[in-house]
Amino acid sequence: MRSAPLRSAATLCLTLSVLAHAAPPPLPAEHLTVQQLPPKSPHWVYVYDEAFNNEIDARVHLFDGDSYRRLGQIDAGFTPSVNLSPDGATTVVATTYFARGSRGARTDVVEFTDNATLATSGEIVLPPKRVETAPSLFNIAYSPDGHFLYVAYVTPAASFGVLDPAHGKVLGEIDTAGCVLVIPWGPDRVSSICESGRLLTVTLDAQGHEAARALSEPFFDPDLDPVFVQGIPTTRGYAFLSFLGEVHEVDLSGARPAFAQPWSLVSPAEQGRWRPGADQVGAIHRALGRLYVPMHQGGEGTHKDGGTEIWVFEMASHRRLARWPVQAAGLSRVLAVQVSQDPAPILFAATNAADVAVFDALSGKLRHVEKHLGQTPWMMLNP
Amino acid sequence: MRSLDHLFEHSSRSLARRTSRRSLLASLGQLLTGAALLPLLPVDRGGRAWASDAKSGGPETCEYWKYCAIDGFLCSCCGGTSSSCPPGTASSPITWIGTCHNPGDGRDYIVSYNDCCGKTSCGNCECNRNEREKPVYRPSRNNDLNWCMANADSNYHCTVSVILGVAEK
Repeated sequence: MRSAPLRSAATLCLTLSVLAHAAPPPLPAEHLTVQQLPPKSPHWVYVYDEAFNNEIDARVHLFDGDSYRRLGQIDAGFTPSVNLSPDGATTVVATTYFARGSRGARTDVVEFTDNATLATSGEIVLPPKRVETAPSLFNIAYSPDGHFLYVAYVTPAASFGVLDPAHGKVLGEIDTAGCVLVIPWGPDRVSSICESGRLLTVTLDAQGHEAARALSEPFFDPDLDPVFVQGIPTTRGYAFLSFLGEVHEVDLSGARPAFAQPWSLVSPAEQGRWRPGADQVGAIHRALGRLYVPMHQGGEGTHKDGGTEIWVFEMASHRRLARWPVQAAGLSRVLAVQVSQDPAPILFAATNAADVAVFDALSGKLRHVEKHLGQTPWMMLNP
Repeated sequence: MRSLDHLFEHSSRSLARRTSRRSLLASLGQLLTGAALLPLLPVDRGGRAWASDAKSGGPETCEYWKYCAIDGFLCSCCGGTSSSCPPGTASSPITWIGTCHNPGDGRDYIVSYNDCCGKTSCGNCECNRNEREKPVYRPSRNNDLNWCMANADSNYHCTVSVILGVAEK
């Protein structure tokens, strides 16, 4: 009666013994190393994370739009200003540190990170004046030749600092008469946006001191239809979108700013109902001449609500090419967009839920959603 | 007080530099008026005019009527109230200004959005509403700036909404 169970037990023991002998060899000992970055790719994107819930701990995440992996991190302190050098080799962060972490003496500093290694490569201490505000390309910016670095100050008096990044020095400060931010152009010019809807342009001499200044005519109406300060680089300057969806293209290739006739993202029937809204409110593929804008339905006061759709436009003809509903793909509202500049472009869209979606920028096909890429990803930069 | 000294030093220098620029003077005037009026303002004690209704929610909700142009964490959820900073923080002497409609009495009110400063961000009850809010080139109407910027401890913690008075039509 007991022979069958005994046989089963013996068989089990034999099987286990064979399996034990057939197990693979143990893993070899590992050598602790520091990962090196692969060669840079046009599909990388630097994601500005304000870390709004614990704001002294902002950071920039480097994310690969092909492998969908985080490649590394750049620390960014408190409400930082972030940008890339014109050659893409350096990330520059202007930030504030408090001596006791969250309190104590304030130190403003510009920090440079080598984008080939993500190691800090230098710093320049600033006067405690830098603007602490929502991100844009114009809170800190290099001159197009990389010779100067400009840092916007608001105390709330407005001015900007001129820095020499090669020698690690602050060269001086230039009062901007209430106009704000630093839009770099030409070899030595900086424009700031004025409350009157004009641009104030300061021309610098070789030492970084003011040589001349000029005020443009108004190019938008700040009362009726203000522009977002998050200008989008074009082939000849920047495009500024207005709250109601007008596109103001500013040509900075000549001796003074030239303003094209504005054109609209919305039809007369859509005006006032559909509008742009986000923290980074547009991206342009310059070679293809395509503009991507997060759009939503809403009225006055919804200009930061984020897009439920991404609209695609042809810059030359002003024609709308596509509407891509993002909520259909399960995404929450889009707060920031960026597009790679290569011939097979990727559109990155950061959402209100801190996800970053990766789209084929030509077809609109959703390739990937990276969940929770940081806490509050409000701007994306690419080389 | 050091921060106030600092602020007025900056403001005086700005004024001296820009006496011909009326728009800036007007903006700075608005900022300073908001700061100067603060000690004289009515205190939010939950009277009829400040009462919430079902539509606008209470002071711990983003829908509360006084928050129509706020961007930050509600001090009501961080140990303070809609018009008082949490313990251990310091109020910002400079502000941005909004105009909000109170459905409780049908009036429009000018409100000052002061930041509370000196501790890291509260992280509770984030609220972002932007009625009549303008970009940073119009600072007196902008809610993106860290308005703790002129405080001795300029770290941002949360934001209050303080009634300055009835908006004149």
